[in-house]
Amino acid sequence: MRESSLTSDEPVIRLDRIGLSYGPEADVLADVSLQLKAGSMTFLTGPSGAGKSTLLRLAYLALRPTAGRVSMFGVDTSRLSRKDLAPLRRRIGVVFQEFRLLDHLSAYENVALPLRVLGQHEKTYRNDVIELLKWVGLGDRLDARPATLSGGEKQRVAIARAVVVKPDLIIADEPTGNVDEEMGDRLLRLFRELNRRLNTTVLIATHDLAMVRKARTDVLRLADGMVVRVPAQQVAAPETPA
Amino acid sequence: MKPSLAPLLPKEDAREAALFFVVCALCFLAALSGLVARSAYSAADAWADQVTGQITIRVRGDDAATTRALQLIKTAPGIVSARALERKESEELLRPWLGASGIPADLPLPHLIAAEAAPGGAASDERLSAILKAASLDAIVDDHVVWSQDVKRATELAGLAALIAVGLLGATGLAVIAFATHATLLARRDIVELLHLTGAKDGFIAGLFERRFLMLGVQAGALGALLAFGAAAFMLFLVKQADQQIWLLPQLSLSLADGLILGVSPLVAGIASMLAAKVTVMRSLSDMV
Repeated sequence: MRESSLTSDEPVIRLDRIGLSYGPEADVLADVSLQLKAGSMTFLTGPSGAGKSTLLRLAYLALRPTAGRVSMFGVDTSRLSRKDLAPLRRRIGVVFQEFRLLDHLSAYENVALPLRVLGQHEKTYRNDVIELLKWVGLGDRLDARPATLSGGEKQRVAIARAVVVKPDLIIADEPTGNVDEEMGDRLLRLFRELNRRLNTTVLIATHDLAMVRKARTDVLRLADGMVVRVPAQQVAAPETPA
Repeated sequence: MKPSLAPLLPKEDAREAALFFVVCALCFLAALSGLVARSAYSAADAWADQVTGQITIRVRGDDAATTRALQLIKTAPGIVSARALERKESEELLRPWLGASGIPADLPLPHLIAAEAAPGGAASDERLSAILKAASLDAIVDDHVVWSQDVKRATELAGLAALIAVGLLGATGLAVIAFATHATLLARRDIVELLHLTGAKDGFIAGLFERRFLMLGVQAGALGALLAFGAAAFMLFLVKQADQQIWLLPQLSLSLADGLILGVSPLVAGIASMLAAKVTVMRSLSDMV
């Protein structure tokens, strides 16, 4: 892990009694708390509209809560200015539900984008990016534009882009939502490898309970504004018919 | 693999072509107005310089009275030189009003004395009038101050109007660039948001737009200035072809100062475009978390 104020016991993400509402409408999130330890791999599940994506947006610092406190890597973000949030964002790799690949860039250029943001020269990362794209199975699609890629390929480019800077935390929103089961398994293996090889903390929001069961890891279930931790053993148990 | 990376901000040909045309047209008008303003101010100065210290005395009477007046004027304090105008010179002065076909020999012409006064104002029209009056000479002394001040004021007003036009065109250009930046920002919000969430600082994102609009401003400004140069040169050509004087209108010339105006225009357009883009982007980004 890079420079960090994080101690070994300190959570990577800590949400304390988070509330979020848009105007006078009902709260999207109310009094939600959770913590993720460094090096953990966690799934976030819950019914549609429960606020999973909103919770993720809070975690990758796209939103500020209207109540409560968000701490990332041991830093209370409520005390940070806009300018000071940028260095924290660089430690987070995000796999967006809708990919958010830039249409005018090739797969290679999309993956290299965070490195360009960091001001690195292409010579220094060219081989790394090519290796990474080979690792996600796209070594032969370096120059392909997103419009010519399948859903699974786009997803893998998005994952490669999220991990290219070796972030401390990876947040993925429905990463298997657009791919078949086989590709879903491949993507799950990618996340596991990242988690185990680089000790990267991984948080994945998903509806895909089959993938969650295969992962055999802890699950956070978000429903009715509450987050409940479900142990891996209970998740892995086969469902009983109602 | 392509040798260089594609720009993070893609080109938007249709929008940028329209913007290029508008900035180019504004630069053309601004550069032309700048040339007119400079020309008007320099014409005002030139006229003032020409008549400053020049005094014309019209003597009512015969040649003897004129000779006496000339002697008095020559010895008056503050006068550097003085001479009586020949009839031919007087006819030359009247030619624009009476035509080139010749002035009848029996037409009585005023007796004129042209004097040059030293700087400092020792020889004013009042003093010279007093000297001539004391010698019982009937003469009108004109140091051209009133006329030259009127003309100078008129040309300076023309120059000021041209400068105001430059200012208004500049402000319009800034507003157009700001509007275009905002439109590009809205159209490319996906890129801006992605860069923002990837940890790009505001300066990095604004820099993409600044570079884009700097280049656009410089290129459009250069073309506008070139067209303005062409237009000015064409006007000069037409005037010279016709061998005409444009009397009270400022006369265009293509001097070093004009070259400076034309040369600076693209830089000003580029920098102004860049700053307008920067302010617009930074303001929009401040709305994001």
